Amino acid sequence: MSLFNIDTDRSKYPQPGEDGKLVVDLDSHKYVKLWQGPNHPGVTGNMALELTLAGDEIVQAKTHVGYLHRGFEKLIERRLFIQGMQTSIRMCVAEPDTNEYVYCQCVEELSGIEIPEMAKWIRTLVLEMSRLQSFLRVVPGQGGTTGLGIGVQWGMYMRELILDRFEELTGGRIYHMYFTPGGVRGLLPDGFKKRMEESLIEIDDFVKRIDDVMYSNAVFKKRTVDVAVLDPRWVDKYGIVGPVARSAGFKRDVRKDYPYLIYNQLDFEAIIMNHSDIYNRSRVRWYELQQSVDLIRQIMAKMPDKGDFKAPTPNVLHWEIPKGEAYVRAESSRGEYGLYMVTDGSDKPRRVNLRGPSYTQAVCLLEDMLVGANIADVHSIMVSLQTCPPEIER
Amino acid sequence: MDFELKRLGFTLLGLLIVLNWGLLMGAAMRKIGARVGKRYGIPWFQPWINLVKNYAIRTSLSHGIMFYLGPVFRLSGGIGLFLFMPMIIGSQLWLNYSFQGDLVLIMYFQFFGMLGMALGAGEGGHPYSAIGISRGLSQFTTIELPLTLAIISIAIQYDTLSIIEIVQAQQGGFMNWTVFTNPVATIAAMLSLLGVLSHSPFNLVIAPNENPIGPPTEYHGSFLGVLQTNRAILHVVEAALFMNLFFGGATNWFEFFAKTFLIYFWSVFVGVVFPRFRIEQSVSWFLKVPLVIGVLAVILYM
Repeated sequence: MSLFNIDTDRSKYPQPGEDGKLVVDLDSHKYVKLWQGPNHPGVTGNMALELTLAGDEIVQAKTHVGYLHRGFEKLIERRLFIQGMQTSIRMCVAEPDTNEYVYCQCVEELSGIEIPEMAKWIRTLVLEMSRLQSFLRVVPGQGGTTGLGIGVQWGMYMRELILDRFEELTGGRIYHMYFTPGGVRGLLPDGFKKRMEESLIEIDDFVKRIDDVMYSNAVFKKRTVDVAVLDPRWVDKYGIVGPVARSAGFKRDVRKDYPYLIYNQLDFEAIIMNHSDIYNRSRVRWYELQQSVDLIRQIMAKMPDKGDFKAPTPNVLHWEIPKGEAYVRAESSRGEYGLYMVTDGSDKPRRVNLRGPSYTQAVCLLEDMLVGANIADVHSIMVSLQTCPPEIER
Repeated sequence: MDFELKRLGFTLLGLLIVLNWGLLMGAAMRKIGARVGKRYGIPWFQPWINLVKNYAIRTSLSHGIMFYLGPVFRLSGGIGLFLFMPMIIGSQLWLNYSFQGDLVLIMYFQFFGMLGMALGAGEGGHPYSAIGISRGLSQFTTIELPLTLAIISIAIQYDTLSIIEIVQAQQGGFMNWTVFTNPVATIAAMLSLLGVLSHSPFNLVIAPNENPIGPPTEYHGSFLGVLQTNRAILHVVEAALFMNLFFGGATNWFEFFAKTFLIYFWSVFVGVVFPRFRIEQSVSWFLKVPLVIGVLAVILYM
């Protein structure tokens, strides 16, 4: 062992047993069992990690969920279609509009409703605003995991600007309930585009500053480059999607692969990189943040000023949808977000199932990725996968 | 009045001034950090409220005598450092109990509090404490190396281990300050200071998300109050040490406040714009950069 290099002798670490699993003898006092979570600033929500350490290196990791189970799917299955809206949006606090969209679209597909063109433009605008506010939290948040708090504070301020726009458009800052089966609840308020442009100009400046302070920072690079590298074989094995897959070179973007709303009328390309470490996963999100800003500008420039924003729907208190099934997906900031709904002709859904990116990324992928990592990098790795426990426990 | 009695009174008064200056400086730095982050920040009197609140909270939690003594040892380290540190040069009463060779004792007191804290937190038995201790001691050992070399360099330069004599040698104009007469040693020491004051990029020991709180994991209430008191005193005294060794000392309290503020601000300035190293990275950095500069500083004056 040289003075500056880490010991490469692996003999003192646990070795695989006959069944291929590592043999960890806690009584040997060579290892420490450590819980990180469920109440811990170093996890991304209500979940816990059971870590086995050799020194400060993780040799085994288990994820534990169940601290936040509120039975969303079953709650929706026992409510009228219109009542399912307020439950569905709470399945991911960080980005509720994607939930609104997939739920409404499922109901519309199953009942054969085609929403007006204007509603499609506004929905696309809201979805991109939602992705943008999410990126404004998670992009500088990656720096926050390594102690760079200043970017987080700037990001929160920028996010507040977008939440201001949400408030004037929908009346709500976090949960909007702006989409409704059949369209949206209203048109853009007067002067909305001008105020949105003013907010976007501030965000343009933020994008440059975060590049200087975070991505060009030698210490940040030291903490994130070549750390928690994603093995490309894991992408298909675990169904990895979104920026995590794109940073590993997989060109997967629902907006391009399965265009919905008016995404096919917008000019953009999926952003990919070829080496998925913490740095590049964050970098992909930084580019996508800029892409969202650009898409919002494109939408505001191209969208009509007037038009119907809601198709007629039956009386929502007596709305029975014919037997059928639908799967609707959308590209959230974390990747493909899908809702599967089965109806049986009654006034409630027969079965609802949500497929969020966190389900595999925060459970299976994280367990594999943590092995060999330093205990100090756990939070950084979790944020780089953008895990959201509520969408695991739905 | 007897001189010794008078000196004791001035020393206690000095401790009060240093404690309050440390609290005010801490609030000012947090305020500056908040403004950089587009926030309003805490009110300037928040550290006093925190202290009163924490001292008023009692605990039923017990891990044994050493657990209680940990914060006491830590505070003893801070106060010990203060007692032997000359504050204002030119007044016999503000020199505290400084004596010939006090520099060696000062170096010892820097480590004393941390060792006591390690024993106390270790008795708590919480794995987070143990991780924090191992990280803290590893890092502080490497922080001390370049600082010690810088001090050896100026001890050779001024041919003394007395802080008062080092300060006196720097009088007669700012070009006589060590920062200009021995810039290499100053650079090594100022890089060490970043670690001594535990700001980013060298604050993994007390990082909340990489390992919650480190050694003081289970210290709360009045224990935490003692640790906060120590932190306020320690930061001023550490800044005073660097002021005395490298920036000409202070001949009045105004000069003392200005210089300690700027020296402390250096670590806050760096900390605001840098994330933190992992422990092995910071250990490696201290051994590669400041240590080499420290060795160079000694060689230049041998």
